[in-house]
Amino acid sequence: MTSKRMWAGASAMSAVLLLGACGGGGPGGSGGDFSGGKLVLAVLNDQSGVYKDASGPNSVKAVKMAVADFQKKYGDKAVVDKIEVTSTDHQNKPDIANTKASELYERRGADVILDVPTSSAALAVANQAKKNKKLFLDVSAATTALTGAQCNKYTFQWAYNTYMLANGTGTTVTEKGGKKWNIIYPDYEFGQNMSKSFSDAVTKAGGTVQGTIPTPFPNENFATFLTKAGSTDPDVIGTMQAGGDLINLVKQFNESGLKEKGIELAVGLMLITDIHSLGVDQFADTMFTDAWYWNMDPEARAWADRFLAETGTRPTFEHAGNYSAALQYLEAVQEAGTDDADAVVAKLEGKKINDVFLRNGEVRAKDHSVVHDAYLVRVKKPSEVKEDWDYEEIVATIPAAKAFAPAEASGCTLS
Amino acid sequence: MTQSAVTEAPVTGVDPPAVGRDLRRRWILLAVGLTAALVLPWFIYPPVAMDIVAMALFAIALDILLGYTGLLSFGHAAFWGSSAYVTGLIATHYGVPFPVAVIGGAVFAMILAVPLGYLSVRRSGIYFAMVTLAFAQMVYFIGYQWSDLTGGENGLQGVPRSFFGIDLVETDSFYFYYAALPILLLGMWAAWRIVHSPFGRVLMSIRDNTPRARALGYEVEKYKLIAFVLSAGLTGLAGGVFAINHGFVALTELHWSTSGEVVLMAVLGGIGTLWGGVLGAFLAVMLADYLASSGFHGIDLVTGTVFILVVLLFRRGLWGTVRHRWLVRQQRRTAAAGPAER
Repeated sequence: MTSKRMWAGASAMSAVLLLGACGGGGPGGSGGDFSGGKLVLAVLNDQSGVYKDASGPNSVKAVKMAVADFQKKYGDKAVVDKIEVTSTDHQNKPDIANTKASELYERRGADVILDVPTSSAALAVANQAKKNKKLFLDVSAATTALTGAQCNKYTFQWAYNTYMLANGTGTTVTEKGGKKWNIIYPDYEFGQNMSKSFSDAVTKAGGTVQGTIPTPFPNENFATFLTKAGSTDPDVIGTMQAGGDLINLVKQFNESGLKEKGIELAVGLMLITDIHSLGVDQFADTMFTDAWYWNMDPEARAWADRFLAETGTRPTFEHAGNYSAALQYLEAVQEAGTDDADAVVAKLEGKKINDVFLRNGEVRAKDHSVVHDAYLVRVKKPSEVKEDWDYEEIVATIPAAKAFAPAEASGCTLS
Repeated sequence: MTQSAVTEAPVTGVDPPAVGRDLRRRWILLAVGLTAALVLPWFIYPPVAMDIVAMALFAIALDILLGYTGLLSFGHAAFWGSSAYVTGLIATHYGVPFPVAVIGGAVFAMILAVPLGYLSVRRSGIYFAMVTLAFAQMVYFIGYQWSDLTGGENGLQGVPRSFFGIDLVETDSFYFYYAALPILLLGMWAAWRIVHSPFGRVLMSIRDNTPRARALGYEVEKYKLIAFVLSAGLTGLAGGVFAINHGFVALTELHWSTSGEVVLMAVLGGIGTLWGGVLGAFLAVMLADYLASSGFHGIDLVTGTVFILVVLLFRRGLWGTVRHRWLVRQQRRTAAAGPAER
């Protein structure tokens, strides 16, 4: 056979295959009211890095608890029998989150993605949600962009945002006399957004921000940044680090001698797991804003007890937020009778919710921000701790309307 | 590394003139390769299939330097990533069809390669590797610091995939694969053309014996620089398609680990063989995808182990070993045919 004929044969074969490909592509057809005959909840978060303890594998367990509770409540009356919970690690990297989200929606038939810490990663997931027209209920990412400039119809922010944290902590600390601030923040969406929200809150409360110092993310050595922050003699150094980064920074702050110079450390975002890792003595009397506390009332406590039995630790607000988001999603699906995203969004929008996590909660229809009561808390002194994980005292409840910025200010136009 | 491999295996990278059976085998191979490229998204999740082909071109482009010119570039992420960013920026801001954006990215990579290559090719061996690594790190930090343009740590999000308003290609990654495949195949063809041209022969002579090539009157640095720029251009082509495929550009694309990954792919498949890059990319991407979806966290551990095993057991890489066997057999046949013919 000559090479020419060989070549012709190869091209003909390729052409046939190509034509065949065009006919058979695309995703398979849907069966009934539920795509693939089942409901798939996907938890996309950090399973191995700095935010593992804050949400991580235990958030997956929280979502499974929600599914079990839903099935127990409705039994045979549930609109869908088969509910799957799947999880994926995004390593806090936006590119991986982007790929994984697209994979979850397209390849693994996920109806909703939950959690997604790391704001830059969450923005990528929000883009995918918009593109695939599937739901994304953000719990652990705090940037206001998700419900602001980059909001979309399929994305909801369930637990908190940087405005809520800054408004509570920044304002309180400034009003108590911490007028001069230096802010250290991780240089990605969350930190940038936090730094901005805190600067606004501090200035509004009559303080001044001397400087904002970006750091790499994730990062281990904060010594240079702390020295730089301390060099202008501020009253307060505000750290916007979170999770493992925060733990590193606080350790280094406590060893740096800045505390002895009378400089206070204000923490932008603190989770109970952070306090647990370092011990209450490291944080004693620190004020911060919390979205939820496991021992804030009997209802929260009862759920936290179940969570403890399930996981061996007390829940952070992100764990409780994931439980709430999953449960309310399932309720909305039950009401809609389908997993069709548009129908479920319609059921969620404007819904008023009170559950384990949300108090006076409302899913705002205008920007898809879920607003609810927030809490100004103080870390207990070692002498005040009465049991394991008894770390926080609620100083004040910030009512939902004040805890979050008004929807009009969000700059969001849903599309 | 390359030098010693070459002395021990003189046949590597030099294709003897193909006749009869070997020519036929070459066509069969091409047909199999093309068929595989066409049916890939049927069996593999299309975005992953696209990654495989893009990475294959990346590995081939690197191999023009590593396998054919004897220069180990440890900074190719600079071209891959900068093209990805430029492609993404063009697509985002001008809304042109994606092939135009990809070509823009590739051209940028080539322009960037001129000064970088000019300064790097004066050194060889480990020094060349280190200089290219240093330049790539500089490009990385520009990308990191210039966050107004690149998005910094957040990456360049939501890169559109416009294609003459054809909705299927723009939204369905299955059809996008077939729209982008020709660009990458064209790149591979160009690589084949480069290494099989007289220019390619000069590159190989430089690799095998630089002083002699110089003595014969070839301007070695000039040839190396041209090879460097061409390699960067093909890398840019692959990087651009990769960016459009994901609709996202992250700093990872500029990170040195990306440079390392592609060297791994090229060596895994076998350097100095164009098919080796394809095989290496296929294995590396599939392995990473498989491990990631199985929920296993030690991806680097496994790829590292595979790499060590391949280097220990198949010194010429997987494809290189197969090819070497063929060539040895062919040489024996020629020898058996009698010395009279020669």
